Amino acid sequence: MSAPITKPESSRRQFFNGTVRGAFLFLLGAATTLLFRRSQPKRTVWQIDPYKCICCTRCATECVMHPSAVKCVQVYPMCGYCKLCTGYFEPEPISLDTGAENQLCPTGAIKRRALEDPYYEYTIDEPLCIGCAKCVKGCVLFGNGSFFLQVRHDRCVNCDECAIAIACPPQAFQRVPADKPYLMKDREHQA
Amino acid sequence: MMSDALNSPAKATRRQFLRRSVGGASLFGLGSASGLLSFPAQAEKPVVGKGGGGHTLGSEFTYDLSKFYKTDPALIQYDEAAKITTGFKELRAIAVGPADHVYAAGDQVVRVFNKAGERVSEFELGDRPRCLAVAATGNVFVGMKDHVEVFNTSGAQHARWKSAGSDAVLTAVAVAEKDVFVADAGNRVVLRYDLSGKLVGRIGKKNPEKHIPGFIVPSPYLDLSVGADGLLWVVNPGRHRLEAYTFDGDLQSFWGEESLGVKGFCGCCNPIHFARLPDGRFVTSEKGLPRVKVYSTKGDFEGVVAGPELFPKQIENPHTAGVSGVCMDLAVDSTGRVLLADAFTREVRVFTRKK
Repeated sequence: MSAPITKPESSRRQFFNGTVRGAFLFLLGAATTLLFRRSQPKRTVWQIDPYKCICCTRCATECVMHPSAVKCVQVYPMCGYCKLCTGYFEPEPISLDTGAENQLCPTGAIKRRALEDPYYEYTIDEPLCIGCAKCVKGCVLFGNGSFFLQVRHDRCVNCDECAIAIACPPQAFQRVPADKPYLMKDREHQA
Repeated sequence: MMSDALNSPAKATRRQFLRRSVGGASLFGLGSASGLLSFPAQAEKPVVGKGGGGHTLGSEFTYDLSKFYKTDPALIQYDEAAKITTGFKELRAIAVGPADHVYAAGDQVVRVFNKAGERVSEFELGDRPRCLAVAATGNVFVGMKDHVEVFNTSGAQHARWKSAGSDAVLTAVAVAEKDVFVADAGNRVVLRYDLSGKLVGRIGKKNPEKHIPGFIVPSPYLDLSVGADGLLWVVNPGRHRLEAYTFDGDLQSFWGEESLGVKGFCGCCNPIHFARLPDGRFVTSEKGLPRVKVYSTKGDFEGVVAGPELFPKQIENPHTAGVSGVCMDLAVDSTGRVLLADAFTREVRVFTRKK
């Protein structure tokens, strides 16, 4: 009859050693991963510099997405809320109302809403916008330039070689950090 | 004895070693997973796009103003006679002073040129100028973003007036005999000061009882001038017209209409600047469709000083044509020469009436 094998009782010191060792390994694993991730190049996405864009319509025709991943956006703090919005109305509108014959946008992607007289609010209906920049040109030419084109990242597939970037005459397309994916305009630029 | 041997770390069993190794690996893996979770997931593998390959849109997608870029030669009443090179990186405003000297403000300097275009003097400013006016005494009133600074004839600072507020964007100054009027585009109002810089009134705020519609100023352009008629004329750019006020702020008359055609003012908000000829007629400048025109004292279109074809750089890039620091400031000297500040060439372009 051999003596019964008893499970060894762990001492406080052993428990403490195990805990420290475990924590050390956990932290080592986390640090290794973080260092590895930081050493990787930052993820970037495509974006348009609005101050370089010349409204050439290529964004509408060159994108792999149909309709394009480039859309007109509106910066409300810059907008003049004009009654005669040159981004909304044809250059020589018959009247300043929402009649289709008066609207500049061929796809009807801009909505006009009356505010306090004589101010109007203009919003982009993105699913209808094809990124042709016709409204952008009208807005920057006469107005404050609150309409401008941006790559919308809910549609953009982030091609390695963006077809629009290749075709863009002023080379307004550039890579920007994915955590700051938009290049916005600001009021200071105009004043 | 046996128990002591098992408890000794030096004599760990294979099972203990295995258990510790597995435990350590698990913790290391857990740590790695935490590190991964602390960053957003990487993008999917990038793809290479195949774009439209030359496909073009129809003409309905093109914003075309080309038919307005050519002026009927019969309407052009002026020739470009001279150019004054200012030497500025950024030309902001011009004015005519005594002896028809041309004062140009830009960068942080005011430069004075004689009638022949030779630089006579200059003085430095402490800030970026936005507008200026010269009194009959030779004192120079320079509008900064939110306040006015006054300089004497030798360029020494005479006074610095109180700020008009953080929202103020001063865009024009005009000096009368006892008053100084300052256009504040940020607050859409004209400020009336006395010559010492004391604010004595505000002109142009919306007031239905006095039939004052209020200034509509979508972009930072609000110009004004005091005429020989004793009235303060102010552009109301969003309404495409010029409005005349008494110095006490009563609206007397107005003229102007919206039109891309040569007789009216184009776009959302024009004209951006104007000046008065010696006989009281008006000279106006517009942005978007850059052009300078003359109107009678009653506001009837008379002719063109400079058509869009004289501003090719403004037309070729829409961003430069519209809002990005366009300077088309105007001044008129005692002989009726029209002076235009061209922000793109940074020159004062001088136009004289055709003979």
